[in-house]
Amino acid sequence: MKKTINIPLGSQHISLLEPVRFKFECENEKIISVDSDVGFVHRGIERACTTKFKFDAIGYVVARVCGLCAITHSLSYTAAVEKLLGGEITKKAKYLRILLLELDRIHSHMLCLSHTCENAGFEAMFMRIMGDRELVMEIQELLTGNRVQFDYINIGGVNRDINSEVAKKIIENLYEVKQRVLGYMDEFTNNWSLSLKFKGIGALSLDDAYMFNAIGPLARASGLNIDVRNEIDYLPFNEVGFAMQTQSEGDINARNIVRLHEILNSILMCENVLSGLPEGAIFTKLKGKPNGEAIVRFEAPRGELMYYVKGNGSAMLERVRIKTPTFASIPVFSHIFVGENYADAPAILASFDPCLSCTAK
Amino acid sequence: MFDLKKYRKKSPWILHYNAGSCNGCDIEILASLSPKYDLERFGVINTGNPKQSDIFLVTGPVTYRSRERLIELYTQMPEPKVVVAVGSCTCTGGVFRDMYNVEDGIDRYIPVDVYIAGCAVSPELIIDGVVKALDILEKKSKEMEKPLKLFKEAISENGVVNRRNVALKVGEVHEEN
Repeated sequence: MKKTINIPLGSQHISLLEPVRFKFECENEKIISVDSDVGFVHRGIERACTTKFKFDAIGYVVARVCGLCAITHSLSYTAAVEKLLGGEITKKAKYLRILLLELDRIHSHMLCLSHTCENAGFEAMFMRIMGDRELVMEIQELLTGNRVQFDYINIGGVNRDINSEVAKKIIENLYEVKQRVLGYMDEFTNNWSLSLKFKGIGALSLDDAYMFNAIGPLARASGLNIDVRNEIDYLPFNEVGFAMQTQSEGDINARNIVRLHEILNSILMCENVLSGLPEGAIFTKLKGKPNGEAIVRFEAPRGELMYYVKGNGSAMLERVRIKTPTFASIPVFSHIFVGENYADAPAILASFDPCLSCTAK
Repeated sequence: MFDLKKYRKKSPWILHYNAGSCNGCDIEILASLSPKYDLERFGVINTGNPKQSDIFLVTGPVTYRSRERLIELYTQMPEPKVVVAVGSCTCTGGVFRDMYNVEDGIDRYIPVDVYIAGCAVSPELIIDGVVKALDILEKKSKEMEKPLKLFKEAISENGVVNRRNVALKVGEVHEEN
């Protein structure tokens, strides 16, 4: 007789924001193998970028690949096209881009933390973090005019200037967020009932992280120090105080702590950007059509995002290839699930911070 | 006694399904359930079970893979039910219109009661749409509970009530009601 049972999770489930299906093969409580299916939201954006839209509109189309890291998508595409056109953008535009990139990272990490708490059964913490996240959403709306899909970056600079009132409001709200995040840090390290759900669960060792090519907070929680912000020079991340955050345990708790430290680091970077904001124009007109190939990498909230753009001197591009962070992490996900209890599966899944509409495009 | 008629409007349950959206509207639905906007003050609760829910929030242009699941969820919900299309791409296809793996909007497949426009939708609009959906839900449940008349008015002749030939034919039932 067969001794295992198959339990499906998805494609529609209360703990999931988006459709993905996992098939768990369980022996009693233990998961012994996992099968995943991620293609539910495939829309065909890469194809539409080469047939439907001209190159100057694609920056706004690729933002719709993912609502959570929309800014990283449009920034990566724009950086690739700027490389092909061969212009230099002003320093003020670069600083404003960093500002919005880090604000986006803060709100994405806070959403992930609250979702992890909800899936572990801690509803009160979910409500607390979601309530505090509104402070960040408020300043994003002030800065760009929209809460989620910003459409802030265009080829040659940014669309909106910042004034002193907005800057003052950003500093005030970020100070508030910082106090709250320090409070969570205490909660996540010392709360006994959270530690039962998070400490020692879903662990990934350093060797496995290296072998499976883990990226983003998932790898940094295991002690692998990779961060694209440290390796690129399109934007001056090191100038505004970027610091690598790593932990060594590799369990859910370590991932949460890495995210909390990254929020603090991002707040520091935002404050440095605002205090050292250079004078000048926010937009320079770049002429010509993209011709040739360019590859650009950026650090999205979930890890490395890669864009490959190929143009042939006309308004339509020849190829746009998007490699998203969650796509690269799926082998690690399947590896971590094996040997864990089925009851912990939703919390482990939320701690990866998966983004399936990125993955399927 | 527990009165379903009275309390259905006070505590409608929401089912949320992502049919291929970019996550933008989904996180705004989460935000509208959170303390600042607090959709739960209307008695709304987010549930994952189609068999217990009254309001169906759909985001995203329907992709070919999620199409069958969307209709499966819709058919599993009990009557009365209200469908709310959240976001521009759910209403018309939006920026994804005419892409090769996308149906343009959910109203090709299921009837929609409330359309909410915007990319991404703001939480205020979501709350407005859900409150509108509550009214439609009340109207629908009243219509369902209305009794169906199967007899005509009896004719009285010289003080004697004649109850012969008062049954309605199939075609006449709808005219009378």
